[in-house]
Amino acid sequence: MQMVTVAIADTDPGRREKLEQSLQSEQDITVLTNVMSEMSSKRRLKLRTDITEIEDVIARIGRLKPRILFVNLDESTGGIALLEALHREYPDTLVVLLTDKSVKEEEILQALANGARGCMDHEAAPSYFLKAVRVVDRGEIWVTRKMLGKIMDKVLH
Amino acid sequence: MILLASSSQDDLSRWEQGVRGLAPIFCSTTLDSVRGELVRIKPQILLLDHDLPKLDGPNGISGLMKLNPETKVIILGRIISDEIEWSLFRTGIRGCCRGDIEPDHLKNVVGAVQQGELWIRRALSWHLLNELVMITQEKNKIKQAVSDLLANLTRREYEIATLVGNGESNKQIARRLAITERTVKAHLTEVFRKLDVADRLKLALIVQGSMTPHDPTRIGHQQSAPHFGP
Repeated sequence: MQMVTVAIADTDPGRREKLEQSLQSEQDITVLTNVMSEMSSKRRLKLRTDITEIEDVIARIGRLKPRILFVNLDESTGGIALLEALHREYPDTLVVLLTDKSVKEEEILQALANGARGCMDHEAAPSYFLKAVRVVDRGEIWVTRKMLGKIMDKVLH
Repeated sequence: MILLASSSQDDLSRWEQGVRGLAPIFCSTTLDSVRGELVRIKPQILLLDHDLPKLDGPNGISGLMKLNPETKVIILGRIISDEIEWSLFRTGIRGCCRGDIEPDHLKNVVGAVQQGELWIRRALSWHLLNELVMITQEKNKIKQAVSDLLANLTRREYEIATLVGNGESNKQIARRLAITERTVKAHLTEVFRKLDVADRLKLALIVQGSMTPHDPTRIGHQQSAPHFGP
């Protein structure tokens, strides 16, 4: 069985642990749990993300080289700049966006345009996360039909 | 209104069963009739048989869609190769499925497309995302090139170029900056030379294109402001 490595970059430890646990029980998934540790400690010192901090995260992800990286895009993870840099430097790491109700469609579109391969609500059932991991791992994407409609509108106009 | 188009009466009656109740239904059995109905009734949805005689694949479908661009087209067919199916989506169709689809299932497809969703197989949807990523990279490249050009301007030149971008005349700019119109002209000559443009309209387009519109969303594209020369 081919192993899929998964890492979760989410500054909310509760959400991160919940997701890690639900993925860990799968035999063909390895969860890399230390992608965020440096980031969160840094965050206590200063709230603004600057370039070096994004570089830190990228270097860390580059060392771990997860196949799938769940990212909660907020100020502290570096936003679009992080996605852009990841897509450029580690194209083999596939990013799936973790969203909540406050994330706007336009933000998701922009993340997808900059290399994210999918997006899902962090409150989705664990079985959806497993399915998303496998779908994205084989090169397909994980987005709603509604989002596909929006992407098509953007591509054609 | 929904227009159903197929030369097969069996298909038509099955499709009709699926979409009954969603909207008034019209049927066409020939390409000429489809053309006429698209213009006449301007249907919201067109269910189109890929094997309709004389339709001629993506080209023909693209031509049909020009007759009423508002119509959302769903193609129904037998087995369509991935390549052809993707080229159909490139023409702007909003859905594609098997012609022998169950009526209930067809109802879901039409409902989704009515809502603006795209009915595309998962195995094809990555094409779509790749295309979006490519377009975005191209746009970013152009933006970068423009901001590199603008970085050659002095602070004053950039200021004046921005005002031209806002549609101001030399006179207005002179008044605003408390300098003579002659000086404005001299600065602009230098700006035109540095950016290799011939007139203020082109300059305005470049400046406008380089500015990120006010982004109300949280994770806006972060573009660094052009740094100024001496």
